[in-house]
Amino acid sequence: MNRMFAVAWREFVSVVWTRGFLLGVFLPPIMAAVAGFAVMLVKNMEGPRVQGHIVVVDHSSVVGEDAVRRLPEDMAARSREKAEQIKKAAEEASKKFSVSPDQAAQASSIVEMQTKQMLPAADVRAQLGAPDEDIEKLKETLRNVVIKARGESSGADPLLAVVVIPKGAIEPGPDGKFGVFDLFVAPKLDIEIQQGIERSVGDAIVDARIAGDARVKAAGLDAKFLRSMLARPNIDAVTITKTGERKSIGELQMLIPVGFMILLMVSVMTTGQYLMTTVVEEKSSRVMEILLSAVSPMQLMTGKIIGHLAVGVLIIGIYGSVGIASLIYFALTQLVTPMTFLLLIGYFVCAAVTMAALMAAIGAAVNELREAQTLMTPVIMITILPWMIWFVIQRAPNSPLATTLSFIPVVSPYVMVLRLGGSEPIPSWQHPVALAISALTSLVVLWGAAKIFRIGILMYGKPPNFKTLLHWVRMA
Amino acid sequence: MLAIEIRGLTKTFGPKVAVNKLDLSVPQGSLCGFIGPNGAGKTTTIRMIMSIIFPDSGELRVLGKASAVESKDRIGYLPEERGVYRKMKVGAFLNYMGKLKGIDPGATENKVRSWLERMGLPNEYKKKCEELSKGMQQKVQFISAVMHEPDLLILDEVFSGLDPVNRRLIRELIDEQHKAGRTVIFSTHAMFEAEQLCDQIFMIHKGNKMLDGSLQSILAKFDPRSMLVEPTNTGDAERLPALPGVASCQPAGKALYEIRFNDTVDPAQAMRSIVDSIPVRRVEVKRATLEDIFIDVVLGRAGASTADRETIRNELAAASSE
Repeated sequence: MNRMFAVAWREFVSVVWTRGFLLGVFLPPIMAAVAGFAVMLVKNMEGPRVQGHIVVVDHSSVVGEDAVRRLPEDMAARSREKAEQIKKAAEEASKKFSVSPDQAAQASSIVEMQTKQMLPAADVRAQLGAPDEDIEKLKETLRNVVIKARGESSGADPLLAVVVIPKGAIEPGPDGKFGVFDLFVAPKLDIEIQQGIERSVGDAIVDARIAGDARVKAAGLDAKFLRSMLARPNIDAVTITKTGERKSIGELQMLIPVGFMILLMVSVMTTGQYLMTTVVEEKSSRVMEILLSAVSPMQLMTGKIIGHLAVGVLIIGIYGSVGIASLIYFALTQLVTPMTFLLLIGYFVCAAVTMAALMAAIGAAVNELREAQTLMTPVIMITILPWMIWFVIQRAPNSPLATTLSFIPVVSPYVMVLRLGGSEPIPSWQHPVALAISALTSLVVLWGAAKIFRIGILMYGKPPNFKTLLHWVRMA
Repeated sequence: MLAIEIRGLTKTFGPKVAVNKLDLSVPQGSLCGFIGPNGAGKTTTIRMIMSIIFPDSGELRVLGKASAVESKDRIGYLPEERGVYRKMKVGAFLNYMGKLKGIDPGATENKVRSWLERMGLPNEYKKKCEELSKGMQQKVQFISAVMHEPDLLILDEVFSGLDPVNRRLIRELIDEQHKAGRTVIFSTHAMFEAEQLCDQIFMIHKGNKMLDGSLQSILAKFDPRSMLVEPTNTGDAERLPALPGVASCQPAGKALYEIRFNDTVDPAQAMRSIVDSIPVRRVEVKRATLEDIFIDVVLGRAGASTADRETIRNELAAASSE
């Protein structure tokens, strides 16, 4: 027993205490943390400040003045509105997830910062150009305007954009269709400003069309009423379940199962790969026999599996806690319950033991890593399978297909983990059954692998094929 | 009390019989040489003793137990296929092996250090195994075989790959283990070492046991009943075959002749009669070496041709110094 753990400990240290592993496993979360810290540092950084003027050349002589009046007003209002929208959404979210006031304040400060960064602080003036203004000359001026990277324009009051509204934009042509307007902008003009101009001028044109139409006037309608009539209602669907009503799945809820599965696959594959590599190394460097003079093959294999399982748990622990930390930070803890996490660990252990046993057997059967490829292909297929059926399961977690797959040995843990974080709760009896099947599978695979391992570790020469491996399982 | 007892041990790999109905008894406290040409089945036998592979049939008792698994801690084993974890440090490797062999964890570290000192590797504790030369690695493995003070020490091809200085060091260490009352079995191609060290010799060839007994009894059994004679006058050589009891006479060097006697003649008597009849510069009774015996057994007959002997001698020399 002690020896098995001595083997396990050596395996664990020999994998974990290497530069490659430390970099590969710890670097991404550390980088994420550093990035988060950097975001905190630039918290008070504001969006680009844009200053300059827009020239509106109006050939319709109806909309020009309105557009010039609206442009700066609209843009300021739109910025405010957008900020308000984001803030409201954030508040709603924190209300929905019943977080502490502390967390809510934190969240709203993040939102504020993000909004500031997103929206440019614009100091934009608009002026009406003469109807016979030389457009080409204005374009030439635009071409030479330099807007620096952070959005600050060069020179005092530079020309930022030119709007040209043709007559046809307000009055329909003979075919009843309206024309469009032209917008010329300086290079590197902030996209928000550009979109602001598009919308403001567009709105002004639509208002002018409505105001200028005799039929609308005759009916006693105004632009404001027509707009509100035309606004399409925007709603959130509500799912009615036995336990109550809730908003239908958001994108975040859809991402959780994928996150679980990636976590499972990464840890299981890393575990298996490392295990196989060490077995092949022990075989090719001929340490194997020395080890076997002190421990039995079964002790050696079990020790190895335990050691590498610990590596996998470490990986899950690191990434899982990063995930939990971010869920807490963004006040989304109710998406994952402790039970879910326990089940995840349960499925991980089954899947990892199965994979580790298979990999140990493969490692024992071959002489070098290169030869392992052919034997590994089917094993890797098993882990890819959940990816292929991911969408089907995601869409209907309790469909007969998903339920059936949940009880098929080897793939069961992967499918269950996919369903685990899904939108519909899994019938409670299915977890024990799937866990039992998975555990039994891992024991059977372990038993077969032990036989291959015992024979394989001292066999050198031609690598065996599947037929030979099966023969070994039956023979020993 | 027997350290190892083997009855009718048989192991086949496919069509090849690696070990065939082998009987073997190793008394406790003895120092046994296990010899045989390449592919004779030595390593297979040793692996079966170690329970690393299992026999097809036959009985095996190690240190009074049914298998080595039950007394692994009392056995030290240096396999023929040697290796270390390349990336592991020497000290860490030996501590790990110590732990696997059940040495008290508190005592392991000191033991490892004092053994490295003895082996002339005091500064290698913190070095990675891959930085060591092949000979050094072998010494590290020797430490891992003996550090837990086993009652039974099995060393497979322990002298291969070592220079003369280290061969002597290992020889001394084996002798020391023997004097401490431990049973030592070592397989080797190096007949010289076997002859110097062993009190028991086992030889197998093609899976069958050819020799089994104390070194003295084997040497006596293979007494070649021959003598080397160097006559003072070269002309007297013609008279040698005619002397009583002489079966044959062959030149064995410059003015040197090898005389073989009939089975009926007493060598002491024959020697006297030679000295009486011919003036000689040198007369000596030829003593069989283990190497001669080995070669005779491998070739399947006594008095093999010089060319055959030469071939095997060269092979042995190559094998023991590789």
